[in-house]
Amino acid sequence: MTAMVHEKEKQTPAQWLKKHGSSVASIGGLLFCLIFFTITTGIKGESIWSASKLSTLIGDVIVTALMAVGAVFIYSLGNMDVSIGKQVGLYSTLLVLVGNATGSLLIAILVCLVIAVIIGVINGAAGELLHMYSVISSVVFMMVLSGVSTIIYSNLGTRNISMNPGISLTLFRQPWFMVLVLAIEYAVIGYFFYFTKFGKYARAIGANQLATSQSGVNIILYRVIPYMFLAVCLVTASLFQMGYTGAASDSTGTGFEMNVMVSLILGGMPLKGGMKSRLSCAIIGSLTFSLLAVGLPIIGVPTNMTFIIKAAIFLVVVLITCRQKTGPLPR
Amino acid sequence: MEKEILFEAKHMRKEFGPTIALKDVDFTLRRGEIRGLVGENGSGKSTIMSIASGMQPATKGEMFYKGQPWNPGSMVEAQDAGISMILQEANTIPGVTVAQNIFSGHEAEFSTLGIINMKKMKAQAQQRLNSFGISHIKAGDPIDRYTFEDRKLVEIVRCVTDETEILVVDETTTALSLEGREILYKLIHKMADEGKAVVFVSHDMDEILEQCTDLTVLRDGEIIGHLTREEMDAPDSVKNIRYMMVGREIGDKYYREDYDTSHSDEVALELQDVTLGKIQHFNLKLHKGEIIGMGGLSGCGMHDIGRIAYGLEKLEGGRVIRNGQEIKTPLQAINSGIGYISKNRDSEALILNGPIQDNIVLPSIPALEKHTFISPRAEKKLSDIEIGNYRIKCHGGKQYVNTLSGGNKQKVSFGKWTAKGSEVIIMDCPTRGVDIGVKQAMYALIEEMKKQGKAILMISEELSELIGMADRLIIMKDFEVTHQVERNPDLRQTDLIEYMI
Repeated sequence: MTAMVHEKEKQTPAQWLKKHGSSVASIGGLLFCLIFFTITTGIKGESIWSASKLSTLIGDVIVTALMAVGAVFIYSLGNMDVSIGKQVGLYSTLLVLVGNATGSLLIAILVCLVIAVIIGVINGAAGELLHMYSVISSVVFMMVLSGVSTIIYSNLGTRNISMNPGISLTLFRQPWFMVLVLAIEYAVIGYFFYFTKFGKYARAIGANQLATSQSGVNIILYRVIPYMFLAVCLVTASLFQMGYTGAASDSTGTGFEMNVMVSLILGGMPLKGGMKSRLSCAIIGSLTFSLLAVGLPIIGVPTNMTFIIKAAIFLVVVLITCRQKTGPLPR
Repeated sequence: MEKEILFEAKHMRKEFGPTIALKDVDFTLRRGEIRGLVGENGSGKSTIMSIASGMQPATKGEMFYKGQPWNPGSMVEAQDAGISMILQEANTIPGVTVAQNIFSGHEAEFSTLGIINMKKMKAQAQQRLNSFGISHIKAGDPIDRYTFEDRKLVEIVRCVTDETEILVVDETTTALSLEGREILYKLIHKMADEGKAVVFVSHDMDEILEQCTDLTVLRDGEIIGHLTREEMDAPDSVKNIRYMMVGREIGDKYYREDYDTSHSDEVALELQDVTLGKIQHFNLKLHKGEIIGMGGLSGCGMHDIGRIAYGLEKLEGGRVIRNGQEIKTPLQAINSGIGYISKNRDSEALILNGPIQDNIVLPSIPALEKHTFISPRAEKKLSDIEIGNYRIKCHGGKQYVNTLSGGNKQKVSFGKWTAKGSEVIIMDCPTRGVDIGVKQAMYALIEEMKKQGKAILMISEELSELIGMADRLIIMKDFEVTHQVERNPDLRQTDLIEYMI
């Protein structure tokens, strides 16, 4: 047995691009949006870098980014959670209801966390225990939570509820606080994702569950734990969602799961999960998504057209980053 | 007079990132040839033909097929033109029938207005299976019902048609049963007789010398030499070929040279009255410092014993015991110091779409953990030791496993468990697809493990390595033990084959 065999040779630019194509496309997309909107909003006599626009941008990006950071764990497993939006809707509602009833935001947060953890355990374990795709259990939750929301708001006799002014939510509207919380969440989730067994096992499961299982990993346990991280992130996102307006409604959270999915794909996240999953996808994707949401109306694109433009950009990124080149099977 | 050139590659070069798999290779294949391609793992022997058969493009160079420039866009295109390749690993489509596998990509032949006539497809598939002499496989059955070996036969049927001019057999025979090998040998000789050509990639020197008409030796992406049939029959041919492959004398020592079967009295792993399916009341005691070899035909139940011992199967009766504790799951097995190298390397042993380092350290993660933190430096150190020990051809631990050659992949799966420091290692076909240089090193490692008091259950379809390495040999047939024998210098393969068949 002798020393390691190295075959180190310089990569050509084409090889480097092939290896890092996904990152280049996602970061390139973000940079393109930044440059494009800096120039075009300037022509329109506005600036995307003005204090008010930046505040709007941060307010828009924060909830999606907070959710997406947690969702990276789930996507790295090769899973998808479509109940994210309805969960945020429920937690926002509960924050208002429990907060108003008890006068304490902390109790409301704890209640939300308990429910989020229960939903996470079921979502994470159901797929493995019932031998079905995990997304199916999240579809069930999406429908159940939609029903719960309808019952709550019909019993209340209103479609909107507001937080008692006695509970201050000013902090949740401060851009610096939003950035700080996102940075803390990113650092904490990043630690668990890159430097602990939770993240390493999640990516390994996404890449090859059978080989991971045969390497002694408890698949059910390490499929459930990522949902715990998501649960915390969703409650945090709900706090900012509700805190921004001080209210919740029966439509809060609608479509958020799609915002998360689009953001992650725009950020270069492989939908199959696995070893190439990166946490930075959440931030890059959310920023790109929000830049489009904030920038397009400024340059005069009608709201209905912004959806088409977003869809077109999404399609291009998917074509660049998610296309598989496995080739056909030999007959 | 030399026969017509069927395929030719000129100045072929292939790069995988910074790794150069082929360096300016010229290769010619004539009609009627059964060309052996040998070389160490990562020497580029599979790469040449994978490019010829449309699996991947060359970085540089030209190819000519039947005198015309050749540049296939896909394997289907190459196959339609007459170049088919049977791959090393399982390549059937799960969840569909045998017939659908055989005619995948050719459904249009059975389609009317978009509706596939499954009955017709099934009938034609069965006809094809029968013509290959494998009528025990039923075209209408789900493919998943069949063993790894049978699925490999289905691949052969899928690949080879009357139009096939060049058949590439890439390390396939190690995945076939004895009967399967005979079917394949018959097929390649028939093709050669019909003026077609076969390229045979294998590490099995006996098989190469027996079946091939010509031989090409590769090393580090370059062709080192060609041997004709006469040169292959020369007295020192094996020694010369090995020298050409490795580039150095590998010496005469290959297997263990001692016949000392002594070991500790302490039982390291015990299977008590184990019952699962056709395996009934199976008993085995593996001691510390002992190597038990299990041999037989592929479907004899020996692979199942390996899986049972590792806690992968839910038993109908009996127990697997290690250190007084019952082993029911792989996690329990690993925690008690058992390691397992699966025969199904690409699907069960390795994360192909992941770095070498992550694969090697995966079972060792709990040991590397300090208050939840896993140091990237500790991971790299552990991985680099194994990469060095096994001489894995790579440019570092971050390289993805799917870019490695078959043998180097096998080294990674071996490295997982040596890194973990397992006390009991269950090896199911441990040297499958591994070249002689590495085999020699692995045998030395297994011998060293024995000296260190490790217990080894070595399951293999290669009787020679079992005879060469095991203290005790167990032969199985039809899920039962038919023969047991202690290590001794007089033991010959012929003494054991009668208990297998």
